[in-house]
Amino acid sequence: MISIKNIVTISTYESKVLWRNWFFRIVALAGIFFIGIFNLVEMSSLDDPSWWAMLNGFVLPYASIIFISIPQAAAVIFLATGLIKKDKKLDTNEVFFVRAISNLDYVFGKALATFKLFILLNFVILLIPFIVGLTNPLATVNPMAFIIYPLIVSVPNIVFTMGISFLLVTIIRNQPISIVLLVGVTGVQLIYYFDKFSNILDFTGFRISMLASEMSGFIDIEFALWQRAFFFLTGIAFLFLTAFFLERLSGHKTTHRATAGVGVVLLLLSSFMMMKVWTMRQSPIDLRQAMITANGRWANEPNLSITSHAITLEWAGNEIISTSDLVLKNNTRELLDTIYFSLNPGLTVDTLLVNEAPVQFKQDVQIIYVNKDISIAPDQEIKVRIKYHGAILQAAAHLEVDGKRYEESNDFIMFALTKKYAFLEEDYVLLTNDVLWYPDTEVGYNRVAVAKERQAFTNFELLVKVPEGKTAISQGAVTVSGDVQKFKPEYPLPCISLVIGDYVKKEIIVDNVAYAVFHYPKNDYFLKQLDQLADTLSYLITDVVSEYEDAQKLSYPFKRMQFVEVPLHFAAYNKIYESHQAFLQPETVFWPEEGAEIRQFDFGRQLRDMNTQAKKTNQVLTDKQKQANIFNDLIRKVFTKQIGSKWVNDGQNMDNPDYSVFPNYYDFNSGIVSRDWALLNRCIATYLRNDKQVQNDYSRDINGISFTEECNNLMQTTPLSKILTEAEFSKISKSVTLKSQYLFSYLGQTLGESNFKSFLYEWVNTHQHQLNSYEDFRQAMVSRFKVDIDPIIRTVFSETSQPAFEILDVQKYEVMDGDRKRYQVIVKAKNSGDSDGVLEVKFNHKENNDEDYYAKINEEVAEEVQGRLSVIKQGETKLFGYVLDEKPNAISINTIISRNIPSVINMSLGTLSKREGGILFDGEQVVTNEMKSAQYEVIVDNEDKQFTHFSPIKPTMLKAYLDSRDTVVKKYHGSWNSSYSSWFATTGSDFYGSIIRSAHFTRSGGGEKIATWTPEFREEGFYDIYVYMQGKNQNEFIGNESASKQFDYHYIINNGDGTDNIKYNITNAEPGWNYLGSYYFNKTGGSVSLTDKCELWRVYADAVKWVKQ
Amino acid sequence: MNIEITGLSKIYPNGHAAIKNIDLQIGSGMFGLLGPNGAGKSSFMRILVTVQKATSGTILMDGLDINEHRHEIRKLIGYLPQDFTFFSKLKTWEFLDYTAQLSTSLKKKKRLAKVDRLLDQVGLLDVRERMANKLSGGMKRRLGIAQALIGEPRLLVIDEPTTGLDPEERIRFRNILSDLSQRDVTIILSTHIVGDISSTCHNMAMLNKGEVAFKGSPEGMIDQVRGHVWQIILDDAEFDTLKAKYPVVSTIPVDGKWEVQLIANDQPHPTAKVANPNLEHAYVYFMENEFGVSLV
Repeated sequence: MISIKNIVTISTYESKVLWRNWFFRIVALAGIFFIGIFNLVEMSSLDDPSWWAMLNGFVLPYASIIFISIPQAAAVIFLATGLIKKDKKLDTNEVFFVRAISNLDYVFGKALATFKLFILLNFVILLIPFIVGLTNPLATVNPMAFIIYPLIVSVPNIVFTMGISFLLVTIIRNQPISIVLLVGVTGVQLIYYFDKFSNILDFTGFRISMLASEMSGFIDIEFALWQRAFFFLTGIAFLFLTAFFLERLSGHKTTHRATAGVGVVLLLLSSFMMMKVWTMRQSPIDLRQAMITANGRWANEPNLSITSHAITLEWAGNEIISTSDLVLKNNTRELLDTIYFSLNPGLTVDTLLVNEAPVQFKQDVQIIYVNKDISIAPDQEIKVRIKYHGAILQAAAHLEVDGKRYEESNDFIMFALTKKYAFLEEDYVLLTNDVLWYPDTEVGYNRVAVAKERQAFTNFELLVKVPEGKTAISQGAVTVSGDVQKFKPEYPLPCISLVIGDYVKKEIIVDNVAYAVFHYPKNDYFLKQLDQLADTLSYLITDVVSEYEDAQKLSYPFKRMQFVEVPLHFAAYNKIYESHQAFLQPETVFWPEEGAEIRQFDFGRQLRDMNTQAKKTNQVLTDKQKQANIFNDLIRKVFTKQIGSKWVNDGQNMDNPDYSVFPNYYDFNSGIVSRDWALLNRCIATYLRNDKQVQNDYSRDINGISFTEECNNLMQTTPLSKILTEAEFSKISKSVTLKSQYLFSYLGQTLGESNFKSFLYEWVNTHQHQLNSYEDFRQAMVSRFKVDIDPIIRTVFSETSQPAFEILDVQKYEVMDGDRKRYQVIVKAKNSGDSDGVLEVKFNHKENNDEDYYAKINEEVAEEVQGRLSVIKQGETKLFGYVLDEKPNAISINTIISRNIPSVINMSLGTLSKREGGILFDGEQVVTNEMKSAQYEVIVDNEDKQFTHFSPIKPTMLKAYLDSRDTVVKKYHGSWNSSYSSWFATTGSDFYGSIIRSAHFTRSGGGEKIATWTPEFREEGFYDIYVYMQGKNQNEFIGNESASKQFDYHYIINNGDGTDNIKYNITNAEPGWNYLGSYYFNKTGGSVSLTDKCELWRVYADAVKWVKQ
Repeated sequence: MNIEITGLSKIYPNGHAAIKNIDLQIGSGMFGLLGPNGAGKSSFMRILVTVQKATSGTILMDGLDINEHRHEIRKLIGYLPQDFTFFSKLKTWEFLDYTAQLSTSLKKKKRLAKVDRLLDQVGLLDVRERMANKLSGGMKRRLGIAQALIGEPRLLVIDEPTTGLDPEERIRFRNILSDLSQRDVTIILSTHIVGDISSTCHNMAMLNKGEVAFKGSPEGMIDQVRGHVWQIILDDAEFDTLKAKYPVVSTIPVDGKWEVQLIANDQPHPTAKVANPNLEHAYVYFMENEFGVSLV
């Protein structure tokens, strides 16, 4: 049936033919060139190599293989279809068809030829990272990686692509159609289906998690192997079927039938593998649903609280063997006849003793319960001992995370990583309470009731039997006796974690706090790159700690802070009711393996950038200063967040890792527990947490309105309770943040902001290491401020009505106060919304500078600009006066939760007029009778119905098609999407408007697209016309080369005397109203039109004002 | 080898009957298959070499049914198809070695020696390193013959081998075939060029429209036409008249007139003389008869 000799012969010569094929040579050269450049740029010592490329010996070989996987699939399709097709015009194939070879020999010979060549190409390409790695002293080269990746990524990819190409071209007998079909399928797969359907369609292996960690080895490799085996086997099955369908008479009928038979059997086998792959992905999801349902069954059942919890744990490879000794107390007011524990469903309970007597227990998925012979009175304490053993099921973690977020892969550079929430491997352990590795009396996420909050912190104790050479890391003071390490936290904690591995510990004690870094022995690059900091480290730490604690106004409550390196795959989520991710544990921060792709860990490139920066500013820095700067930059940007990142597309990437140490100051240290206001504690944490915010949000440039406004709009129509259960997580998170900001701004304004803040800090500082009841907090507020916060919280959490602020006037003056030059800004604002609202006003004194947009290393921590909060009641108009010592450049009015778009109005103040004398007004006052202007004026804004726009240009077919796919009808569009065929509305502070500041815009054209303002006059006469501008050249960036260039807008004015075409220079336009000209208008009307003709990229049509002379 | 063909027919899915009920017996030596383009020669040959299946009928080769024992039969066959171009990127010797490895079980050294020997035999040794697609038409044919011979077949099937070759190459090719026919090999040669058969084959068949118009020896075929070939000297007007009536085999201008050879059952002109027939005359005679032209 099969002759190896024939197959080898055919493959030998066919591979010669392929090797001499120009297409293959071009593909091979292009691949080698591309991978060569990639490796040289990212990893070689020719340039400052990227740290992520070197952090692990698996990264570059895997990246190189992944990069070529898709072009390789396409090349195989082209060549394989050509190789097996039978050209009808030539009988060359028949010379071989009449030989005494079987169809299988023929097909497998040709397949082997293609395979040999491509796999050889893979190895040649892998030589590049291998050589580059060897020549770079910082890089790690792992020879295994150079064997493993071609085997598990490329082999199945080539075999499958070849199999399907052979089969298709044999069946449909048309090479061009086969190529179009297969390349099309590959393309669709690439765009749409990589991550879908449990990766069943990902034949190139592009999105299968196969990157190994140097700490914990391959993760989820079983899934990857099954998936790759499925495609390999399917490819082989297709080859058999190709031999069956081959247009050549077979040698024997039985052979022919057997060929088909084997093909079908292999196909069946591969279908089974596909099912297996599917099940591997789906069964955890099913388990999660079962756990959520089980939680729901227990959510309303009262239970005991844990007072103390001593855990003895033995690590046995992929299992743990544990005993938990718990002291439990009935903190409820009722007699309890059932007690229950949540425990990872992978763990099996062996015995359960209540007060030293064995009891019968039952299990409901992850809930272990005892409901026989139990009777525990209020305040009664019992002792429970639970012995359990088994593996840890990952699926048990983070149940509140919805399917979409849960199944999304964890992107690391170009790799999709499996998310790991716990490790229980042969040589590595990482367990957090998210995976329920020890029993707890709380019920986790469910859809029946808000998850029950912990009523008190627990006194933990942990005894771990650790194999020789391994280090265990947990909370508390550690004592070692033999192979047992005992951890005893000094304070009660909400949870503990356990990490065991080959760690090396570096420790320094500063101000009675032990700062320790735990890292893997090979991952000590930071010691080399920050080698000069040894003697100054304690000063650096003191500086960053005091800088942080000054900002937070809280002091570190623990005796140690441990920075523990964890494998790349460890993943965490943002939560609704908690304000920290699993990267933060009490006394502990988990930092990713060798810093992963966090830029601040890439010390090499940080140093390079700092040198460039220093050169620019003519600074001379010593090596030590440079290292100190790098260290500070890392701490401030990653761990203390005292320097915010520059740019964010708000609402995206809500689960980006957060390593901020703040939870150790609040979440693990204190808290206020409320049954009714489950969100309150998170709101307090959000309010207290003084991380620096991202400086520029570009969500408006993409979506037309900012993400905050999107959430404000949502909160107008939907109560928060509904948002919590129905909205997508990013909106939940933002809405909760906005509500907490509003709540505390409101409370601050009502109770006196500094009083309220100091009360809150005092409360936390005097209630450390404990959870406190909301009632206590409420009473403390009553006794301090004589205010019951309960109705305020109720209103804030439940109301949907929102204020709407009209900024009626902004006056700004330069004033001489005695011999001091001071600045007076007066803002008149009206709340025309449905509820009271809070405004926060801040001034910016800095000149805008292009440099501000670039991230710098070790930049100054921006001084917190204190905003002034003011409440404006519904329907009220208020005048706010601000007296400033420094010249204000811009004013920022944050409306927090409101109907305003933008919700934060940033206005450039422009030139300040000089004022002699007069009283300086600093404060606020309600305006009771508003003076109307004596001058008759008419304003037409782009939001008004008197504004129209017209475009004769049709969109391209592609654009029309793409637009038709967008099912959401958007009122506003991002300015980055400037259409060449239509006028779109967009929003921004610099536009005219009362509550919504918007303008229409379009891409500049030849003058065909026109926007028209048609006023309705009461009186005829001469009018001065003003147009609203954002500023010089409409604030468009024109580059240095065009700095002296002049730009014009083209207006057409239909007035009483006819039509005038005006070229209006906008190069020096002021922000606000700009005088266009004076014309006579009849009462019957007239209009002003703006064409799209302009040399700038976009044309904006905002508002036009007619002021009667 | 003894080949017995009984009731062989081939009807394509579009309804075209390429071969109609052919009965033939072919023994050792050279067998010529003559016929115009589209007569069914290639279909017949392809069935013979197991590339294609017949619709009905049987072929027994030394008693083995080729439908049942395709694999065994293939071991005995060498085949040179009609439209034969080589792989674009194989050298002459590589191509031959490729086919040699699939047809023989010789060790490398012997195999390569055999390849060179055969290349020498067909006069291609000098160009062994040349890419096969760079060979001239005649060289390609010779390489074609070499690949057909490499497995030392007992049946050699050669389809239209001399089409497009210059006379020198054609003669050379015929000589190669003649040499081969001295061995115990059955060579089936299909052609529409009469000269190929007359100079090499002792047995032949003529196919027309899928049917056997004649089978026997070339001499037998010539005998059939004896007395029907005429030679006449004609002026222009006469020539035009007769040309429209009878198939003309040759025309030579002689002193302002034409010396014409034509085929007719009876004397076509009073001055016409019977000429000595050859295979070409016989071919035309059979063809015209089949095409329904009256030779009367």
